[in-house]
Amino acid sequence: MAAGPVVKKVMDAYKGKVRLVIKNYPYRYRDYSRNAAEASLAAREQGKYWEMHDLLIKNSPKFERASLISYAKELGLDVKKFTESIDTQKFKLEIDADLKLATDMDLYNTPTFYINGRQVVGERPFEYFKKIIDEELKTRK
Amino acid sequence: MKKPAVVAVLLLLVALSSPAAEKRFTVPIGNSPSTGPENAPVMIIEFIDFQ
Repeated sequence: MAAGPVVKKVMDAYKGKVRLVIKNYPYRYRDYSRNAAEASLAAREQGKYWEMHDLLIKNSPKFERASLISYAKELGLDVKKFTESIDTQKFKLEIDADLKLATDMDLYNTPTFYINGRQVVGERPFEYFKKIIDEELKTRK
Repeated sequence: MKKPAVVAVLLLLVALSSPAAEKRFTVPIGNSPSTGPENAPVMIIEFIDFQ
């Protein structure tokens, strides 16, 4: 899972104070999760990573080829280029590197967050993030 | 329960709940997608599978 709405709320509430970095960890339902990761990076190549990220979360788990192509169309991407990218698994190495990192760190669930290195496993309410972020902002002043 | 035992348990609870004692992981960012300022005071790294 990806904690879409909560993370969005965090980014809005702490605009300019928080940087969000995404790592792909398609460990369950391997093929479909991998398709989604490929699609997100294919969209990134065309400057629409976050738009695709949001669409994928919204439409999860409809990640078969035709659906992904329809999302690319919806975002106005170069569909031919996008399709080539997902068909050839253009970003396989990047996804593999993220997977290896997650495996090395012994992750067992998604989403897993690291907030200034502090591990948060699973979906949590906004208030949970708020508490940690406020503590971090306090200690860094 | 004897008093020293209660104190010991309380001290242990305080130690376990203290944020200073919390483990911090180092996660390399690499070329991963990101949003927000690079020098932001708080960095959140999210591992997702979109499912």
